[in-house]
Amino acid sequence: MQLEKFTYDNKIVRNFGLATLIWGIIGMTVGLLIAMQLFKPSMNLGNQYTTFGRIRPLHTNAVIFAFVGNAIFMGVYYSLQRLLKARMFSDVLSKIHFWGWQLIIVSAVITLPLGFTTSHEYAELEWPIDIAITLIWVVFGINMFGTILKRREQHLYVAIWFYIATFVTIAVLHIVNSFELPISFLKSYYVYAGVQDALVQWWYGHNAVAFFLTTPYLGMMYYFLPKMANRPVYSYKLSILHFWSLIFIYIWAGPHHLLYTSLPGWAQSLGVAFSIMLIAPSWGGMINGLLTLRGAWDKVREDVNLKFMVVALTAYGMATFEGPMLSLKQINGVAHFTDWIVAHVHVGALGWNGFLTFGIMYWLIPRIYKTELYSKKMASFHFWIGTLGIIFYAVPMYWAGFTQGLMWKEFTPDGLLKYPNFLTTTLQIIPMHVLRSIGGALYLTGVIVMAFNLGKTMLKAKLVADEPAEAMPLAKNINITDPADQKWHRALERKPMKFMILALIVILIGGMVEMMPTFMIQSNIPTIASVKPYSPLELQGRDLYIREGCVNCHTQTVRPFRSETERYGDYSKAGEFVYDHPFLWGSKRTGPDLHRIGGKYTNAWHFNHMLDPTSMSPGSIMPPYPWLIKQQLDTTTTAIKVRAMQTLGVPYVSGYDVVANTELQAQADSIAKDLQQNNIKVKSNREIIALIAYLQRMGTDIKANKFTIPSNQ
Amino acid sequence: MLTRINSRKMKIRRIFIIALLIFGVNSVSFAYTTTELMNGIALGAIIFTLALICLVCLVLLKTFKVMADMLLPKEEKLVIAAPVSELVIEPSEPKLSLWEKLLSLRPLAEEKNLVMDHKYDGIAELDNPTPAWFMWLFYGTIVFAFVYLLNYHVFKLGKLQDEEYAVEMTQAGVDQKAFLAKAANRVDENSVKLTADVGVLKAGKATFIQNCVACHGEHGQGIVGPNLTDEYWIHGGKINNIFKTIKYGIPDKGMISWEKQLSPKQMSEVANYIKSLKDTHPANPKASQGIKES
Repeated sequence: MQLEKFTYDNKIVRNFGLATLIWGIIGMTVGLLIAMQLFKPSMNLGNQYTTFGRIRPLHTNAVIFAFVGNAIFMGVYYSLQRLLKARMFSDVLSKIHFWGWQLIIVSAVITLPLGFTTSHEYAELEWPIDIAITLIWVVFGINMFGTILKRREQHLYVAIWFYIATFVTIAVLHIVNSFELPISFLKSYYVYAGVQDALVQWWYGHNAVAFFLTTPYLGMMYYFLPKMANRPVYSYKLSILHFWSLIFIYIWAGPHHLLYTSLPGWAQSLGVAFSIMLIAPSWGGMINGLLTLRGAWDKVREDVNLKFMVVALTAYGMATFEGPMLSLKQINGVAHFTDWIVAHVHVGALGWNGFLTFGIMYWLIPRIYKTELYSKKMASFHFWIGTLGIIFYAVPMYWAGFTQGLMWKEFTPDGLLKYPNFLTTTLQIIPMHVLRSIGGALYLTGVIVMAFNLGKTMLKAKLVADEPAEAMPLAKNINITDPADQKWHRALERKPMKFMILALIVILIGGMVEMMPTFMIQSNIPTIASVKPYSPLELQGRDLYIREGCVNCHTQTVRPFRSETERYGDYSKAGEFVYDHPFLWGSKRTGPDLHRIGGKYTNAWHFNHMLDPTSMSPGSIMPPYPWLIKQQLDTTTTAIKVRAMQTLGVPYVSGYDVVANTELQAQADSIAKDLQQNNIKVKSNREIIALIAYLQRMGTDIKANKFTIPSNQ
Repeated sequence: MLTRINSRKMKIRRIFIIALLIFGVNSVSFAYTTTELMNGIALGAIIFTLALICLVCLVLLKTFKVMADMLLPKEEKLVIAAPVSELVIEPSEPKLSLWEKLLSLRPLAEEKNLVMDHKYDGIAELDNPTPAWFMWLFYGTIVFAFVYLLNYHVFKLGKLQDEEYAVEMTQAGVDQKAFLAKAANRVDENSVKLTADVGVLKAGKATFIQNCVACHGEHGQGIVGPNLTDEYWIHGGKINNIFKTIKYGIPDKGMISWEKQLSPKQMSEVANYIKSLKDTHPANPKASQGIKES
């Protein structure tokens, strides 16, 4: 056999790297902007397109799918070629992948501020973009597996196991969580409703963290860390054990996002149990990484790349220990819906994903340009300011989380809530939010310095677009003589397709066990006779609630705690959500829960409050929504929305779509008339009327006969 | 040697007791505290975490040192010890530090025997076993998970959320009753008394400013809610009527019930304050509503 000569495609790696830098800065800047809106609402720049509810999803999408996404592809395209000793399968597919992904991000940047959202967290993009994501993901998959099939290396290295798991799982998650019924070009309804929708969403949401923010990064860690430190990977056995246990167990843990909601008790408990079991598999990655540095710790002192990697691994270890702890019911009861969770995810995002990306970029860019980094001092400055940024971000947020979580729960001896006004608890933590945005600004400064440093590095040399390499071709008939190579896992590493199918089976089990009973068995969602479908006006109002992203700050699920039933009213029951396509339970209470808001205040109160929240709640940090009063409600969609709901099983009488707008008008008129009696002159065709109708309806279906409601469990 | 082991044991025991105390105090104080104390606990938790981070840093530093110590002599051997090579003693059993034992690591010198045959783009892998402590952690969490599920769903010893809620509410009812039975200022709509006491009115005004002005105006002139300074009353203008309106609210008209937000004492204070507003003639009064009462 003869040595084969070929080249690595570095250009695609560089392009993904550039995209990482650009989107990283954009995504983090948006993050800083919304952080500032939490103590200075006027930072919404006075218009609907840059108000918290609409651009918070932009921040999360930009940092997850644009910054981290491009970084993944950069790392995968660099390491995959070298680990397989082969150029990427197809340059054309690489290009389609790159430009397709950027196009998807651009479409997110356009549609999210315009209010086109499905409201599923981290899956907000509407159905045409969902289809585009699927197609581009398949392109990525073909390109990756094509490369694997034409490899010149017999066995697949552990990094590639993680890449394969990432590919199959994200595909499954994305497709299942995108079952939407389109009603127009940029509007759709989820097929699932209420509790089931919540379960699907958090199965997706939790595992997007697992398989987009964790597994590809573990794969990259397994390639870049040993390369940087020039040390062997500590334990192959540990790699096998933690890889399989991680992907198997992770999938089950989604319900820990729904503790104390109306999700069936058994599903909640499964979420808790599997979260606890997740500690060791997660730590396996950290241990294998840190112990790989054994004997190279002296290098860490000088090498800024390794410093980034060590902090990244430590942050990963902290976040993956904290996660299981937060899923314990007792801790979750205090932490959930507070800034504690925001702190937790940012330790992961800023520490693990951010720092690992930076470490890799400082190492990789000079290599593909065959030059030295422009300034090591600047990189070192980035490391320290970034670390400081993380601390300034996390510590105040933890403090704010503890403080607010405990304030919500405190009673006086008279048996009253100590802080009956939600706003008191919000105002208490504003100094913490100021500190947090300083932390964020420090972190962003570091990234801008890095962009400058890497830009200078690129400018001072020429990209080695096609890096020459050589390797022996793979023998046609392999004769496995080495007994070590005959072991089962070693054999599996030679069979990429079998490997992928096995990984697929492993990740499907958990999801199926949790979802099937919730969907099939009636007793899991006890129905309530008094719960009726929304009126057409309320339906339109609900879509406005979705458009404005209210769900980003207000939950719609009252948990069965005395502190919550005293504050909000009766706790939420599964049967109340059966017509909610999608569910709007939310995950963070920047403002109070709204599930029992219906009938609590007058229409006039809501009108004044939406026009200027501080008029009704002095000091409120909610932004004003004057555009709802100016804009006319689009009633041309009413009929098609009613028909879509009928398709999804909402029991409107047949032919209701025809009369829907008549009923809508009648209800709108009655609200406008009521407002007029309180000296508020507004036309009945304004959006605010629909939103008020929805707010007044919320949670009222069971108020009349609350003693006959079947329990959740 | 023996005393050293003993003292180490003592130390571990002491740390254990302290940890137990911390946890014990925490769990007791959680149930009956004020915010100040809660804030204190939060602060304590942060300090504890920071201390933990410091400890971890120290541990890491120690690890660095151990690693460096193990590496440096090797390099020296190469450079300096070359001419006197006969002095180099064949390494017998290399000594392991405490940390290495804890992490169940093998000495670095043995590493060459562990390197596996394959290399991927220059990356080698070692055939180290999975660390024993790691395996015990994993087994431990699996046992925990099984016990957890059995506890809640098979033996049903643990309370699921609905039951937990019922217990919490019953207990709260008992506590509240006991407190109100003792409290001197137990007032309801029948026993509330009209008073012009300055202290009462001042407290009432504070409550009013905090909770009522959004709807009734800063001076009680009425905005969304009715004017409270005139002689007209929709739901009665006697102190008992006002107390009752505050307590239970008039949900149909948007007056919310304050029973769960204000104590009986606070409601009586604010009712008295409202009574004191009569004929204060604020600017921009809302038109009178209801029946005239003198």
